[in-house]
Order: sequence, then C-alpha cells, then structure tokens
Amino acid sequence: MLRRSAISFFLVFVGIAGWARTRPHYGGTLRVEVAGDGIESPVLHLVFEGLTRTKPDDTLQPALATEWKSTNGDRRWEFTLRDGVTFHNGLPLSADRAIASLTKDCNGACPWTSLRTQGNAIIFASDSPMPEMPSLLAEDQFRISLDNGNCGTPPCSVGTGPFELAGQRPGGFTLAANENYWAGRPYADTIELVTGRSVRDQWLDLSVGRADIVEVPPEELRLAQQQRMTVLSSPPVDLLALEISTNGALANQSLRAAISLAIDRAALFNVIFQKQGEITASILPQSLSGYAFLFPAERDLAKSQDLRGGLKPPTLSLGYQGSGSMQLAAQRIALNLREAGFDVQVTSASHADLMLRSIPLASADPAAALESVLRASGETAPLAAISPTAVYRAEHDFLDRKTLVPLLDLPRACAVGTRVRDLMLGVDGTPDLADAWIEVTP
Amino acid sequence: MSLRQRLLLLLSLTVAAAVAAVSWTVLLRIRHVFEQRDQEETALFVSQFQREFQHRSAQLAAAVDRLAANEHARALAYQLDQTNDASPFLTEAASMAQDAQLDFLEIVGPDGKIVSSAQWPARFGYPEPAAQETGNEPFLKREELPDGSTALGTFAVRTIDGAQPPVRLVGGERLDQSFLADLPVAPGMTIGLYTDAGQSSASANSAMPGTSSVNGIAPGSAPPPFDPSRLAGAAGPIAGAANFQSLIDAARTSGQQTSGIVNPSGPAGPREASLSATAIPLKNQSGNVMAVLVVALSRSGMVQAQQHIRAIAYGVAAGGILLAIAFSLWIAARVSRPIEQLARAAGEVAAGNWDVHVPERGHDEVSVLAQSFNHMTQQLTSQRERLIQSERVAAWRELARRLAHELKNPLFPLQLTVENLARARQLPEAEFDEIFKESTTTLSAEIANLKAIIGRFSDFSKMPKPELERIDAKDLIARVASLYATAAATKESKIDFETNVDPAPMPLDADPELLHRALSNLVLNAMDAMPDGGSLTLSAHPKGDAVELRVSDTGAGLTPEECERLFTPYYTTKQHGTGLGLAIVQSVVADHHGSITVESRACIAESQTGGGTTFIITLPKDSS
Repeated sequence: MLRRSAISFFLVFVGIAGWARTRPHYGGTLRVEVAGDGIESPVLHLVFEGLTRTKPDDTLQPALATEWKSTNGDRRWEFTLRDGVTFHNGLPLSADRAIASLTKDCNGACPWTSLRTQGNAIIFASDSPMPEMPSLLAEDQFRISLDNGNCGTPPCSVGTGPFELAGQRPGGFTLAANENYWAGRPYADTIELVTGRSVRDQWLDLSVGRADIVEVPPEELRLAQQQRMTVLSSPPVDLLALEISTNGALANQSLRAAISLAIDRAALFNVIFQKQGEITASILPQSLSGYAFLFPAERDLAKSQDLRGGLKPPTLSLGYQGSGSMQLAAQRIALNLREAGFDVQVTSASHADLMLRSIPLASADPAAALESVLRASGETAPLAAISPTAVYRAEHDFLDRKTLVPLLDLPRACAVGTRVRDLMLGVDGTPDLADAWIEVTP
Repeated sequence: MSLRQRLLLLLSLTVAAAVAAVSWTVLLRIRHVFEQRDQEETALFVSQFQREFQHRSAQLAAAVDRLAANEHARALAYQLDQTNDASPFLTEAASMAQDAQLDFLEIVGPDGKIVSSAQWPARFGYPEPAAQETGNEPFLKREELPDGSTALGTFAVRTIDGAQPPVRLVGGERLDQSFLADLPVAPGMTIGLYTDAGQSSASANSAMPGTSSVNGIAPGSAPPPFDPSRLAGAAGPIAGAANFQSLIDAARTSGQQTSGIVNPSGPAGPREASLSATAIPLKNQSGNVMAVLVVALSRSGMVQAQQHIRAIAYGVAAGGILLAIAFSLWIAARVSRPIEQLARAAGEVAAGNWDVHVPERGHDEVSVLAQSFNHMTQQLTSQRERLIQSERVAAWRELARRLAHELKNPLFPLQLTVENLARARQLPEAEFDEIFKESTTTLSAEIANLKAIIGRFSDFSKMPKPELERIDAKDLIARVASLYATAAATKESKIDFETNVDPAPMPLDADPELLHRALSNLVLNAMDAMPDGGSLTLSAHPKGDAVELRVSDTGAGLTPEECERLFTPYYTTKQHGTGLGLAIVQSVVADHHGSITVESRACIAESQTGGGTTFIITLPKDSS
C-alpha cells in the first residue's frame, strides 16, 4: 500500500513538473540573427500592426480594426478601430492617425480613391470594387505607424505592436515587450535582433547557443536538415521573378518573349536552390491558385532564338536584389540568355534592364496575393473580380506582356534553438515571435 | 686659298676625321657592348622567368594532385557516382580552391560538364573542354569570368583518385601582376605582361557559351587590336604602353621572340628614356600565343655613355681644331710666311722690281729656297744692269754707227765740194764763179741735211711727256686719214686708203699730238712698204677695257731680222731714214701705258714671208 502510494505520488509529481515545464513562461531574451538590416521584418512585424492580419493558418483576423464591412459592391469599406490601443509613446490610436499612416504608406499610389474618418471608423472609397481590401490591409505596406516628432532621437516612428523599439546600435536592435499590448503582453521580455550576420555565422551562433533563431535560405534548407538543425519552413511564399524593362530595345515584346523562353528554370531549381520550392511560370503558386500548370515553364531555346530573329540587341544589364544565391541565379540567367544570343552583363546596381527580384506573396488569398504582386510591378488598378477565372485572366493578361517572368516559388525558413518554444511562421514565412517563448533551463 | 688656310683646313680636317673615326668606333663598340649586355640580362631574366614559371607550374600541379588525392574529393566523386546528382556540390569547388589557395578550380563530371566552378559558380552543367587535356603538364589557358573579362592562368588537370567514372579537377593560378612581382628584376629593367582580352565566347552565334576559351592567337593569324591598357607591370599599367604596340604585335603574329627599341615617351621623346625591349610570346600547348612577356632594359646608361663620348669627341675635336689653328699659325710662321714672302718677292720680280730680298731664317729647305731666291734676284739685277749697260753700249754703238752713216753722207759731198773749190781756185774766174756757185749750193743743201739729221736726233732725245686729255679714237683715225689719204691716192703707185672705225665711243686719255705723230709714222712706214701700190687700212675697235688701233698694209711684210729689231732705235731698212720712227712710236705708246705689236708672217714663223704687216697699238680706255 505504502509502496503503491509512493509510486502514485512520484508519478503525479513528475506529471506536474512536466506540465509546468511545457507551460509558456514570461521572461527571457530572444536572440534573433538576420543577414539583412532587419528593418523589413521581423522588426516591422513586431513593432507595427495593420488594421487586419493574416494568421499562420492563412486566416484573416482583426488586428487594429475589430470589424469591417463593405457596401456599394465593395466600393466602400468601413473599418472600425479597436478601442484602447495606444502607440508605444502612449498616444492613443485614432482614425486620423491611422489615415495619416495609410496615406503615407501608399505614397500616392493608393488602391483606394478616398479615405476619411467616421467617428472611430475609417472609410475607404474607390471607383472600382476592392473585394480584397481586408487582405490588402494586412500587408506590410499598410501597417500603422506614428511619427515620433523630431527624429533626432530614434525611433522615428512608433507602432502598436507587441514589441517596441528599445534601442538601436550598430549591428542590431533591441525590442522590448509592450506591457500594454492590446492582445496581451508577449512572453519574451526582449528581443535582441542582430543584423548583417552571415548565414554561416548565424548557424555557428545557433550551434553554440548564442542565437535562438537564425535564417535558413531556401538553398541551404537541405544542408540545415542534414546538420540536424531544427528548421521551420513555410510553403512557397516568395516569387523569384525576372522583371524586364520596356525601355530601349526591350520595348520589343518579341525580345522580351525571347528572354522569357531562354531561361532554364530547372537549373535554378535543381542546383542553385537545391530543389527547394517549385518551378513556376505563373505568379501564384499551384497551391494557391490551382492553375499554375497552365503556364508552361519549360525552356525553349530554339523558339527564343527564333523570336530574337536577326536582331542584335545592345548589351543588357541584369541586376539582382540580395546576394549569394540571387547573384548566382542572376549569373546563371545571364549565361542562359547568352545562349539565346543576348549579351548580358550582371550588375549589382539597383536599376537595370533586367532585375531579378524576390517578390513576397503576402497573402494566402489568391486575388490579394496577385494584386500585391501586380501592385509591386506598377499595376495600381485593383482586380475587377476575385473569382478564380478573373484572377487567372488577370494573371494571364499581365504575364502576356512579358514584363515579369516568374521563375521559382521559394519558401522561407529559419532554424530554431533549443530554448525556443511555440514558434510558428507567419503566412509570409517570417517567424511569429510575438507568441514564442523561451524555455529557461533551471 | 692661301697656303696657311689650306694647311689650317687640312689639319682641321685631319683632326676632325681622326676624332670622328675614333668616336664612331667607340660609339659602335659601346652600343655593341650594351646591346650584348642587354641580351644577356634579358636571356637571364627569361631563363629566370621560365624557371619560376616551371616552379609555379609544378606547385600548381602538386596542389591539384593533393586535391585529387584527398579524402574529401574521393568522397565527392563517390557520392557523385552514387547519386548522379551534382546539385549538392555546387559550392564545393570554391571551398576546395580556397583550401588549396588556387585562383581557379572546377570539378568536372564524367560527362565533361562542370559540377562546380570556383571562379564562375553559375557555369555548372556546361562543358569544360580543358578537362579533356590529356597531358600531365600544366598549360596556359585564358579563363572567362562572370563579369565578362578573361584572365590568363596556368592550369593543371587531374583525375580524382579512384574515381570511376573519372571525375576531374581543373585547377589553376592566375598569371598576372602578382606573378610578375615575384620575379627578380634587375635595376633599370621593366617587365610587363600583355594579355589579350581573349576571344569572347559570349557571342550571339556561340553554341557553347560559358566555355572557357582555350584559344589564343595562332601563328600567322591577325591578332586582335592592340589595347594599351592590357600591358601591365608588377606595379600596374605601364606608362607609354601604346609605344610597345609594334613589338608586341610582331611577337603575337609571328609567335617568335622579338626585340626592338621602344621609347615610352613616344617617337619624339628623349633618347635617354628609350628602352631595349624584348617581347617573348607565351604559348599554350597548341602553340597559340596566349600572352606576351615584355622585358625592357633602360638604355639611359648607354645613351648617357654615348652622349658623354660624343661630348668628349666634340671637345677633343674642338681642341684639336684649336691646336690645328695654333699649329697652322706656327706653320705659317715657320713655313708659309717665308713661302708667302717668297711668293710676294717673286711677284715683285715679275712686276719688274728686281731689287727684292727675302729674309733667310733657319737651315731648312725654305731657307735654302730663300737663299736661292735672293741669289737669283742678285744675279738678275746684275745681269739686268749688265744688259742695260750692254744695250746702252749697243745703242751708243748703233747711234754712233747711224750718226757716222748719216753724217758721212752729207760730209762726203761737203768734202768734195770744198776740194772742188780748192781746185777751182786755179781755174778762170768765170769757171771758178760757176763752180763756186754750184759748190755753195751743194754745201748749203748738205749742211741743211746735216741740220735735219741732227734735228731728228735732237727730237728723239727730247721726246716730250704726253699731255693727256680725253679724246676719241675715231677722231684720231679721222685726222690721220684726212692727212694721208689724198697723198696715198695721188702717188704714182696708187695706194687704197681705207678706214674701219667702230661706231661705239672709244674714249682715250691721251696726248692727241703724240698719238697723231705715232700713227703718222706707222702710216708713212706702211706707205713706204708698198712701193708698187696696195692697200692701207686704218682701224680702231674697242677691246674690253682697251682700244685697239691697227695700221695694216699689203706690202712685202717683214723679215725675221726686222721682226727682231723692229723697235730698236736707229734700226731702219730704208735707204734714207734715221730708224727712229718706230722707236718714237714705241716710246709714245709706252708713255700712254699701252702696248704695240706687229703681225707679219715672218714674226710668227721665221720660215714665212710676205702677206703684209699690221701694227697693233693697244691703249687703255679712259676710265672716267
């Protein structure tokens, strides 16, 4: 009897202790390292919020707006702001401040025609229907920020997010938990963001425990898995595409078509990106649109040469964003184009005849995602309809101009240290640090 | 040109020629020595370069050998064979190249396609022809790079140990300025490496872009245009690279080592800046020229030495010429001056001044010549005096003879007449009166004759000095012609009197009376020489700065004796005559600074006679 009680007591004790260990803890510092400057994300996601947000499960949820409704055939939208939300400097969120931020964000190329307040609501009006307005407002571009007065002392803008910028130093940021966050204080006390760290150094730091979350480029995914790193990867959320200028010799659509047919996507996918992601010739991935297979992705060098004909265009410049694999991809594309008779010089300039870009697919909604890509390519008119057929037609018509050549859909990934718990990736592939917590070893 | 000037010129030329010959020889020799030294230094450097190149090639081959033998490469080849998936090895070449410190490295699969490339990672999947090189020796190759440029390098190909099918490594090192920097360079030596941009494979019609170019310039083929920016030394681009074009192009075209003189400052640059350059083509295994090594040695030393020698030569030549001048002055003092004095003295003797004496200095040939000259002038002077005395004696004798002859003629009748008178005294008075009358007449005539004879002699002895005035020869001829033409025409044996006067003015500075007298004498003589008639011609013509007066007759001409003694006073061939006429003519002509000659056959050749006689008086024109 006594023995049976001792065993039961021991099992209960172990259970309670185990349960205690798996419960989220407050406190601790998350150490995140990135190769870039960190401004785009995750700082953006942690400090600033939009009126809506897309959860990791691709659902659209309220954020700074609690509800929304449309009228007049989606030409008018009304978003009601959440009460009790304050910026990190203590100023309350108001419709006027939100409108000021939204207007600044779209910088004159707003998808809506007018914007006004109505009490604690914001009214969006457009001459054409905007069925994707809620999804649109979840994008990074439309996160709400407030200018922090004189920018002599950073930060220059404040947000309403779960973390606020507590300090900035060369090579990184310090984010502190927002104690008054409307959705509840995040678990971690601070986030130390180290920027400009090479992937190799990030992995080294992760391995020795100096970092909790590090980047894993798509082409390094297989290697990271081989090295038994804890890797979180997203579905394809980045579109690797080649933008073709319409200036000069490239005003000839046949030449642009020749360029698009000369690119060997298989080599990019198999070798450079180590079979991560998907080969694509469409803007939206197959998993999102379902019709990506309708866009042929095979290389046709002969047809490319035929389309070029006897034309000998001048030397074209090919720029790229980023480094490493992007540079390699650009060089590979240059080689492909040389086979087709184009003389291409790879350059690191930000403006070139051809630009290799990684375009984020910021929404799980096909129409919203397509609209965001089109907007990034300079198309300001919203989609007239959001039916699959309309979306396909819009995408087909756009791609037919041969100003954007989709190449690959790439995932995003990060490697996680042993201390981190409950970390998930957002719909755009960035780690959702607000809900992550740190296991502190006793 | 005087003797002194000739001596000076000769000495100067001799000195200058000697100095020039010596200088030219020395300059040539110096140039030869320097060129030989340059060749030796160049050959030494080339051998050093070849040794260094071979050494580096051996090091490269060893490095690639080590890579091919190491475990990592073998594992890679095994995995490649097992998985047939080259994608995981995309960055292998870069890391292996970094470990082995190679500039270039490619991993080439069994199919000859690139698995991984350190220098151009994006070129995976493209064929690499260099992997087919079968030899073990390193070779030169021009490698294309992602930025469109090309780089020259030394490459070696090795098969990874144990790899079946074979997986090859193509490793290489750049052949560029850093290689040159490691070469030992002598002072004054400049080395450079010229590399062509290479035949771009990124052409519109290229079927295999991205393949590294193994081409070079085949011997005899036209090389690509010369690009001065592609000639670089250890420290960077070489100044004046454009001036090396001809040398480098010759090496590229011929494939042979080529030497020449190059001036980096251009054709018009200073000689000190010129270089003795040698272009050595670097070839690949096919014999095509991949690059040109340029070795240039400064010629400043040689140029400075040459300039120094030239300066010395000029100095020596100038000094020599100054010495020559000094020597010539000394020569003048010792040799040419006495000779000049001799020459002047000889000129004076020729002019008639025989009383000339030249100083006798020293005991050399010149002093002997001076002694001889002085002796000669003494002899001439004494002989002239003797001659003058003998002529004077001869003239006195002739005068006495002529006087005796002239005076004898009238004296004999005088004597007879006086003797007749003496005898007639015995005769009756009437006969005596008649004889006395005849005798007094005879005496008066003969006495008058005597007086005439004595008068002529007196006139000749006191020939007046000419009173010069400006006259024209035309007038002179006209006056004489007017006086004697009528008499000539009225003679029993008619003489045709003609004049032939040049219409141009013939001014003379002369005494008209004396000249008239002289011409009259000649005319009378001419008339006397034609007792049977003939033709007498008076002519006057200008002849340069003189006027020529001619009196020609068509008489019997002169005999050889007459030619010889024509102008001797008192010499005459006439029965009656004092023989002073031509002497007077000669005296008048001499007083007018003229000359008189005679033309007659006998005067030209003794064997000839007849043909008339022409007296020619040449008088200087009036200079004003």
